[in-house]
Amino acid sequence: MIRYFSNIWQSITTLLIGMRITLVHLAKARKGIVTLQYPEERWPRPERNIGFSHDSYNVIRSRLHVDMDDCIGCLKCERACPVDCIHITTVKVEKGTDIPEANHVGITSYGTQKRLLVTRFDIDMSECCYCNLCVYPCPEDCIFMTGGPNSSKQEIDYEFSEFNRSDMIFRFAKVPKDQVEKYTPPPKEKVKGDVAG
Amino acid sequence: MGIETLTLDRSAIQGEEMVLNIGPQHPSTHGVLRLQVVTDGEIVTKITPYIGYLHRCFEKHCENVTYEQVIPFVDRCDYIASMNNNFGYAVAMEELMGIEVSEKVHYIRVIVAELNRIASHLLAIGTFGLDVGAFTPFLYCFRDRERILDLFELLCGARLLYNYIWVGGVSHDFPIGFVEKVYEFLDYFEPKIQEYNDLLTFNKIFIERTADVGVLPADVAISYGVSGPNLRGSGVKWDLRKNEPYSIYNKFDFDIPIGTGAMGTVGGCWDRYYVRIRELEESVKITRQALDQIPREGDVHAALPKKIRPPKGHVYSRTETPRGDLGFYIISDGKPKPFRLKLRSPAFTALSCINEIARGWMIADVIAILGSLDIVLGEIDR
Amino acid sequence: MVDLLLQKFSEVSFLSGMPSALLFVLAATLIALPLFMFVAVNALVAVYAERKISAFMQDRLGPMGQGVGLHAGKWGLLQTVADAIKLLIKEDIIPALADRKLFILAPFILFVGAFIVFVGIPFNQHILVADFNIGVFYIIAMSSIGVIGIIMAGYSSNNKWSLYGAMRSAAQIISYEIPLALSLITVIMLVGSLKMQDIIIAQHGLIWGILPNWFIFNNPFTFIAFFIFFISGVAEVNRTPFDLPEAESELVAGFHTEYSGMRWAFFFLAEYANMFIVAAMTSIIFLGGWQSPIPGFLNGPGWGLFWFFSKAGFLIFVMMWFRWTFPRLRTDQLMQMCWKYFLPFSLINLLGVGLWDLWLN
Repeated sequence: MIRYFSNIWQSITTLLIGMRITLVHLAKARKGIVTLQYPEERWPRPERNIGFSHDSYNVIRSRLHVDMDDCIGCLKCERACPVDCIHITTVKVEKGTDIPEANHVGITSYGTQKRLLVTRFDIDMSECCYCNLCVYPCPEDCIFMTGGPNSSKQEIDYEFSEFNRSDMIFRFAKVPKDQVEKYTPPPKEKVKGDVAG
Repeated sequence: MGIETLTLDRSAIQGEEMVLNIGPQHPSTHGVLRLQVVTDGEIVTKITPYIGYLHRCFEKHCENVTYEQVIPFVDRCDYIASMNNNFGYAVAMEELMGIEVSEKVHYIRVIVAELNRIASHLLAIGTFGLDVGAFTPFLYCFRDRERILDLFELLCGARLLYNYIWVGGVSHDFPIGFVEKVYEFLDYFEPKIQEYNDLLTFNKIFIERTADVGVLPADVAISYGVSGPNLRGSGVKWDLRKNEPYSIYNKFDFDIPIGTGAMGTVGGCWDRYYVRIRELEESVKITRQALDQIPREGDVHAALPKKIRPPKGHVYSRTETPRGDLGFYIISDGKPKPFRLKLRSPAFTALSCINEIARGWMIADVIAILGSLDIVLGEIDR
Repeated sequence: MVDLLLQKFSEVSFLSGMPSALLFVLAATLIALPLFMFVAVNALVAVYAERKISAFMQDRLGPMGQGVGLHAGKWGLLQTVADAIKLLIKEDIIPALADRKLFILAPFILFVGAFIVFVGIPFNQHILVADFNIGVFYIIAMSSIGVIGIIMAGYSSNNKWSLYGAMRSAAQIISYEIPLALSLITVIMLVGSLKMQDIIIAQHGLIWGILPNWFIFNNPFTFIAFFIFFISGVAEVNRTPFDLPEAESELVAGFHTEYSGMRWAFFFLAEYANMFIVAAMTSIIFLGGWQSPIPGFLNGPGWGLFWFFSKAGFLIFVMMWFRWTFPRLRTDQLMQMCWKYFLPFSLINLLGVGLWDLWLN
């Protein structure tokens, strides 16, 4: 019998406590709301890139971007990718060949001499798992995720939705496929093929 | 008419049993799980879980990628607690390769792992509330989990799948101001636990729905290999952070909450749930201590191997994730890719005992029991 | 009110030649149309209110927008309108193995069950379709018709979840009728009439000099009866914590799992109409209906509407408040609560009110 009435008492008190909490939240609705009205309001991207030697760390996850002027075609990012979403094809060109379309001056911003012409640099962002693993091995820091510490190089872009899946493949190579022959050295030279097949 | 004709004939009143498929498309199977239940009215007489709807060949896949590249896949096993999964893999690999990481890396790992434990338990608590019909605690939990995700975004750019803890280090040092932000979060978060308690934990309807329901006795739990909060809910004081301290967990002062049966039988859904609530407090405690002690100087990349090529051999190492003992068995043949990688999933063992503990309860209870086990299908199916 | 209209019709010359049956149908339609509009508008407003209240309770914003256009209007005011349009133009799906006739009929029976109750509800001193001398009895009887619709929906959908939902609903509604009716009887014993207006008028004046003479304050037994009545009412309309028939985490959507589009919208309309009925009944029987809380103050017919709607609106708010705070009960606990807690208490109430009445008079 005691249990019967204590059940009733507990029900009433604990339920009232719960109701008080929701009522307080309702009453303080102006202050406590955490909703962000997305297209109009955007969450401020956290300020990173601060602190000791953080400048060299790329700590944002958004769309991958490649600065082709600096790419030397070393395939390190392609090998690092765990999901094989980066496809690179390089062609060996003779030293000193001038390729105006590729802005091929031969020297990257880190001072490295380019030896390969990148004819295909495709990143399938629909396959990308945003693990950032391709960014670290790059010797020229030319593949990076947009925004954040790289805002000066490329504005942030994390809402790249497309109607067609093939539009999610971003093609960075500046030399079109049909013009590759122009710069291809004579056939006896060794051509480095597409590693990924 | 003789008296014998009046005796109760059970077969006459027993209705036909009905086979009911809960899932794979069902609001509360926590992913894509199919439970084939045999029901007699509302009473469930047999439960058979069917898994594999989320199978991604994780273990086979790992044999084809290098050791560094395994980490993003490990993230996606238990996607609620990626940091803890990364941590487990890193601990296993460091044991295999004999790497000693610096003090600072240890502290960073403990802080992010405990923060992620809070985030994971918040999700477990919230969805458990949802399973028994309380909608509002779910959103409160998500509101606070969001803050942890913001912290992680500040830390490594990603909100869910971090790829943060690497073999031999972590991918980035703490940004300046991060420690203060974590303090700020902990100060904000600690009073919120009381709010969950008032709103859900000690709610009489909630207690009626969960205490005494789906009792998992300690011996059954041990024989099924159940671990983590589910085991502790049954009153077994077993936590790898205390019993087999890895990393620097032996430096911290914290308790292991166990189910006491305060509202009913030990090992009921309420006990499993309440262990998680108590673990929130313990995680806050550990995080505070780690934040107090973390060395400010130090290179987090110091012990990072240039190329991960472990010697021939094998290792089994286990760590305590929010779901229990996460074991990694890695066989190396000296090549840059693992010869074999086996993940021992705590959620899988937790799910395996569902027929044992949920048989004889009602459909509504099966949902509650499933919620209280806090399974993540990404880890079960792998 | 029909009689009033018929009387008016007889004064109009061109209508007087018509057969009386036709006139009766015309009069009934003229009354039913605004009532139907009221039910629809009630659902629109209540859905919007529920969304906003739940959102604010959960630290969210709820439907929001920046203006007409693709957005849901300022403060999301057009959200429910957009929902209604969506439901109207949505494809009407009937499962291949469903019992077609029953499947089509079920939402209408449920809706009609809710709709005809409005006949007996006095909105103010004058707006009342029919003041039966068995008003309360009529409402209790008619509000139980809905369960037939729910069982039909659950049975005809050919879906196990629907069947579970329907069975739960039947058990629940039939069980909670008893404490509901017993706590009504306490009030009827004091009033001595089943007429709705009589019950309201009996609550005129002050009690103990300060409180309005509503039945909730009349004596301790009716005070308890108020809570039993209201909670049983919440259980009758399948709202959380008693929303077992449509428990979304257990039975995907319960008895209306297979319904979509306009047919589903009728379930929805009926649910909100039922909510309003329970709130209205509680406010009429225990909170003085259209009576002003201070006798003689602001008690014209317009103010009567205002008081009635604010009382009913508050009770609807409380129902929403329940819904967004509490977990759900289990079937056996629901039955336990009814038979082991509510029923003994309402029986004691009945006895207590009888003794109280004897002692006072």
